[in-house]
Amino acid sequence: MGQTSKIAQGFFKRETKGMKTDPIAFDVEAGRISFFCEMIGEMNPIHHDADAARAAGFPGIVAPPTFAMVVDTETGRAAERAGKPSILTLIGCNLARLLHGEERYDYHGLIFAGDRLTVTTEIVDFEDKKGGALELAHLRAEIHHEQRGLVTVITRSLVHRLI
Amino acid sequence: MSASIHAAQPGDVLPTVDYGRISRTRLALYAGASGDHNPIHIDSDFAKKAGMPDVFAHGMLSMGVLARVVSDWAGIERIVSLSSRFLAITPVNATLVCGGEVIERFEQDGVPHLRIALLAEITDTEGQTAKTLAGEAVVKAEKAA
Repeated sequence: MGQTSKIAQGFFKRETKGMKTDPIAFDVEAGRISFFCEMIGEMNPIHHDADAARAAGFPGIVAPPTFAMVVDTETGRAAERAGKPSILTLIGCNLARLLHGEERYDYHGLIFAGDRLTVTTEIVDFEDKKGGALELAHLRAEIHHEQRGLVTVITRSLVHRLI
Repeated sequence: MSASIHAAQPGDVLPTVDYGRISRTRLALYAGASGDHNPIHIDSDFAKKAGMPDVFAHGMLSMGVLARVVSDWAGIERIVSLSSRFLAITPVNATLVCGGEVIERFEQDGVPHLRIALLAEITDTEGQTAKTLAGEAVVKAEKAA
């Protein structure tokens, strides 16, 4: 391939390709949704006030579309607290070189305060780009609710700047 | 004035969301709120050691604002999918504006859907502008029951 020497500079642990994490639980708290929404400037009361959410036809405070990433990062932290590697540690992320490439959510249902969710992440593939200047990790995570089933699929690519 | 979602057609422009300035304080608080504690976004010593001029914003902070363009207009319960490519970093203290435009109307399983192109743009402290996120959302466009 002629790129071997450059590829060897990568940080991602390519041998983890195909691995799938065990489900990790996350309890969705109303205060966390409200705090997250305030930080993205989302002040719609359905995200802050249970009565307003119910008046709008929802069973409770609604998580906003990108709250899935909170569920994902917090289950990573829960894994580390339990002495297991988070997905970022597992694939060998170097935080000084890490960039976000792409993020996608496919919604099968909404997330509400009070939900107990579980996350499983699959390490789909690794890829080299720009002649070895960048390396990519492709991840896919599923967020499940114990009764409502699959609520969100996260598809993500993470990038290391290698030069 | 943007069209109602039931009658929306390609070319219709959604109202923009003006986030304002992304301060250091905001990055620190977003790190806590989101759970993304990567020091590259909150610790200028770490950022400089990593070869960056200063801290820069979490891409997901901008994607959260990008999502508001869709949820404000369509309602969160209509969103089928949301995606974004991250084109450029957002330096601390840049200002952020997000917008969207309907690019396709199609039927799936007998339900009308809209495809919306999304764009995040920043202006940095030097007055330079840049496109930072290019996204897409699909929403259901049927009338409420």
